[in-house]
Amino acid sequence: MAELKERVQALIENSINPAVAGHGGYIELIDVKDNTVYIQMSGGCQGCGAADVTLKAGIERMIKEEIPEVTEILDVTDHASGSNPYYSPSKG
Amino acid sequence: MLRLLLLVPTTTYRTEDFVQAAARLDVDLAVASERPNVFGERLPDNLLTLDFNDPEKAACEVAALARLNPFSAVVPVDDRTTVVGAAIANALGLPSNPVAAVSTTRNKHQMRLALGKAGVPSPPYFLFTLADDPARAARTVPYPCVLKPTILAASRGVIRADSEGEFVAAFRRIEAILKTADVVALGSGSDEILVEGFIPGNEVALEGLLVKGALRVLALFDKPDPLDGPFFEETIYVTPSRLPGETQTAVADLTAWAARALGLREGPLHAELRVNEAGPWVIEIAARSIGGLCSRTLRFGTGLTLEELILRHALGIEIESLERERRPAGVMMIPIPRGGILEEVRGQEAAKAVPGIEEITITIHQGQEVVPLPEGSRYLGFIFARRETPEEVEAVLREAHGRLEFVITPKSG
Repeated sequence: MAELKERVQALIENSINPAVAGHGGYIELIDVKDNTVYIQMSGGCQGCGAADVTLKAGIERMIKEEIPEVTEILDVTDHASGSNPYYSPSKG
Repeated sequence: MLRLLLLVPTTTYRTEDFVQAAARLDVDLAVASERPNVFGERLPDNLLTLDFNDPEKAACEVAALARLNPFSAVVPVDDRTTVVGAAIANALGLPSNPVAAVSTTRNKHQMRLALGKAGVPSPPYFLFTLADDPARAARTVPYPCVLKPTILAASRGVIRADSEGEFVAAFRRIEAILKTADVVALGSGSDEILVEGFIPGNEVALEGLLVKGALRVLALFDKPDPLDGPFFEETIYVTPSRLPGETQTAVADLTAWAARALGLREGPLHAELRVNEAGPWVIEIAARSIGGLCSRTLRFGTGLTLEELILRHALGIEIESLERERRPAGVMMIPIPRGGILEEVRGQEAAKAVPGIEEITITIHQGQEVVPLPEGSRYLGFIFARRETPEEVEAVLREAHGRLEFVITPKSG
């Protein structure tokens, strides 16, 4: 499991964080347990209106493609506390 | 595996609920937004960028992509993507509303014309543009009346006027809203003001699903707070409705009639109606589901969310039941007490402790600006409740709201 965690950590550091940095965001790996990855979003990602899209259609897909053993990615972020989200929702 | 394309504006409230619903369905999810996602270049088949204001171009781009990797369904998540959603679905040969029908719902004047032509009970209405002289226009309309932009949603820019003086003031105030950059960017219709005769009565919201042209009512919400103006800030929604059964039937029948008149045939429908001694009146119909986070009041069958139900319908997956759970439920869109900078919301734990309160979500972040209606375009937050009766739902929503304290400081500069 330690090796799996290291591979996820490397992917986040090398591929994911450089991308989200463009929106002032940062992804932290909290833990890997039973093939489930726990992450936390901060900066522009925390509370961002597009965070779920970035997580489900971006981060999750990249991690599962690169590391097929991973079965699930869970976001443990307190999005309500985000103070500088990149996108904020509006009624349109 | 079924492949789903969600059309998700970067600033919609509906992202989380639709994306989570898609995840539960285990589909191959692609998401299109109007701005590039940070992973868009790495995952071009699943994170698309489309110009939502150019439906034809967007439809061509998606059709090209679909030739290599076909989509099973295309689902717009809110008002801003309904037209482009219909254009893409039609280009792909997927079940959808006609583009013209959806376009009609996106302009309140066009909607009034279509409903009036079909004889659907509607208030008298008049169209003006910003080029018109408001003082002259004020002399040509009945009072009380309601002025509204033709292309904005969720009560933004909607103002009642009881006199010529109030009309001119309202016209000028809406003009300022229509000249803001975000509204000008909407293009066609952004210089229009529709004036409707004010319809007194109780307001209700109908949530429905159109299946091959037939309306299935999913929920009917009462709005117990009077919406008499001068602004129309929506607060509490409670379902099931406490209206008599025959009135509820009349509301459903009128909504179905209006949907037919507009040419809507497939997918979610959200209708706002007023009910008075003359019967129900259609205020608005949209080819989308309920806005904000309000759908969280709804569960169907064995716990299906509204978004799962919409996605299942679009993907052609069996839906066990369209029956809403029996337990009454409600939501309060938290009223904005004043404009300024939101510093803190106190009392959230006490509010959550009110029996029946399920969730309180504050959607404006600490340090962000809160702007009341008619200018405001954001919700302060939502309170959700479930109880044994609609009366209890309404009562606990009010009690929880009373326990919240909003610390809002004046905006500097």
